[in-house]
Amino acid sequence: MTEIELRHLTKRFGKKVAVEDLNMNIEKGKITMLIGPSGCGKTTTLKMINRLIDTSEGDILIKNESIFDLDPVELRRSIGYVIQETGLFPHMNVFDNIAIVPRLLGWREKAIKERIEELLDLVTLNTSFMYKYPLQLSGGESQRVGLARSLAANPEILLMDEPFGAIDPINRAKLHDSFITIQEQIEKTIVFVTHDINEAIKLGDRIAILRDGDLVQYDNVHNILYHPENEFVEQLLGHDRNIKAMVLKKNHEFVMKEGFITCKKSTKRSEILARMQENNKKKAYVVDEDNKFQGIFIIEKGKKDLEPRLILLEDTITVERHNNLQETFSLMIESGEATLPVVTERNRFVGLINLHDIFNEMKNGEE
Amino acid sequence: MEFVTYIQEHYLDIGQAIFEHFYLFLVSTIIALVIGVGISILVTREGKERIGRLILSITATAQAVPSLAVIALVFLLVGIGFKPAVIALLLYSLVPIIFNASSGMLSVDPKTLEAARGLGLTPKQILWKVKVPIATPVIMAGIRSAATINIGTAAIASVIGAGGLGDMIFIGLKLQKTHIILIGTILTSALALIIDGILSNVEKKVTPKGLLVKRIHEGA
Repeated sequence: MTEIELRHLTKRFGKKVAVEDLNMNIEKGKITMLIGPSGCGKTTTLKMINRLIDTSEGDILIKNESIFDLDPVELRRSIGYVIQETGLFPHMNVFDNIAIVPRLLGWREKAIKERIEELLDLVTLNTSFMYKYPLQLSGGESQRVGLARSLAANPEILLMDEPFGAIDPINRAKLHDSFITIQEQIEKTIVFVTHDINEAIKLGDRIAILRDGDLVQYDNVHNILYHPENEFVEQLLGHDRNIKAMVLKKNHEFVMKEGFITCKKSTKRSEILARMQENNKKKAYVVDEDNKFQGIFIIEKGKKDLEPRLILLEDTITVERHNNLQETFSLMIESGEATLPVVTERNRFVGLINLHDIFNEMKNGEE
Repeated sequence: MEFVTYIQEHYLDIGQAIFEHFYLFLVSTIIALVIGVGISILVTREGKERIGRLILSITATAQAVPSLAVIALVFLLVGIGFKPAVIALLLYSLVPIIFNASSGMLSVDPKTLEAARGLGLTPKQILWKVKVPIATPVIMAGIRSAATINIGTAAIASVIGAGGLGDMIFIGLKLQKTHIILIGTILTSALALIIDGILSNVEKKVTPKGLLVKRIHEGA
């Protein structure tokens, strides 16, 4: 279902054309990524939607209603807006920052407080953050508050302008994961500007690729990856498209559920060893009564005449079933393990994932 | 001990002089504050930032004009008495107030203003809820330096009939009595110190807490 419709949208700055005759339907409840090199018109397009930038020609419809029939201030209050470096108000604490739009809309203080507690919970910040000031927050925390602020009055639409651009790679990856989880809960219509193709692939439902104010390709992530429209899109995706495409695949699609040995910590060692030798396996996976993953038994070769012994490794690497193949792949390279145990969010053991299967997937990627 | 005797004999006159001096300072500073902040708001409005920057360089230069020159000019144009003295003082203290208030409001992070606009604040709300509070420490610094300068300049304004502690200094000069000059000078300085102390407390009260907290180190 279409939520936002861009019709013949054009923006000129003097003689320079920033956006030219752009037509796009933005789907409700999905994340639409706008991507392209700097100067391609992606930010301009975004800011025309909440009228921070005036439109030269064309129309923008939200739920079939032209935004130019609305008061710009009212319009902006009904749309969430998140920018790079957050733009939090330094003189207000987290509570007052998030409360700003609800207060403008005349909400009662009690309702505001409840809403803020709910939002902090959503962005996984402790309620003790309420009375901190922006200068006391880290980059990632600020960005979470920025997101909470934009969601305060529960807008249907969220505009995000390179929100994670200023965050270091490790924290950015964490923010991406929580952003995906948050969106699963809130299902907003999100228009997201980025210049990072990996971010676009990881977060986007649909990707719009812009160049010099033109829409080059607009499609779902799968089609963009496997059927790039032209050389420009191919270049943007890079030579490692297949590796990038691994982001789209989740571990649970590749889990082997049999062909390995499981046991409990309490199982007799000799019994485990016998089963391992019988099946010619080097590892046995240890779970508890609730099927929670606890570690791996490996065989240590006995010296000369001594019997082989079992050693329990408890700090082993596991992957979550909802994580994507790319993360699993890099974990495998990092750890030097070709096979990793897959667990649920609650650490329940579901099976194994194998490097071999990931390779096959990459090879067969292009259907 | 002519110092003490003078005070004993003239304490009423001295009290009167202190009152006049303070009154002159108060009236001129309050008017300068209202006009100065008003002008700063006008010239730093969205889209008017260029004018703001022009005003900034003008006021930066104007700070080099000697106070006596301003007093002399006002005397030529308006004449003598309390009113011309107020005009001279307010003109002279406008400069640091406008300079600070304008630079404070121009230095608010454009990202903060963009966020404010994007969230749906009206230009008025952006001014009073965002720009002015963030610029408060800088505006207050301007008011404090204007106040201190004003107390000193008020003493000089006695030449155009402003009254106040300046009169004592000039009388001492005419009579060649060091102790009278000293009393006038010490009282003027004391007044300046007290007022600055009060304003420094006001500054602490009105500066939003969030601007005073320590920035933490970047982490997870």
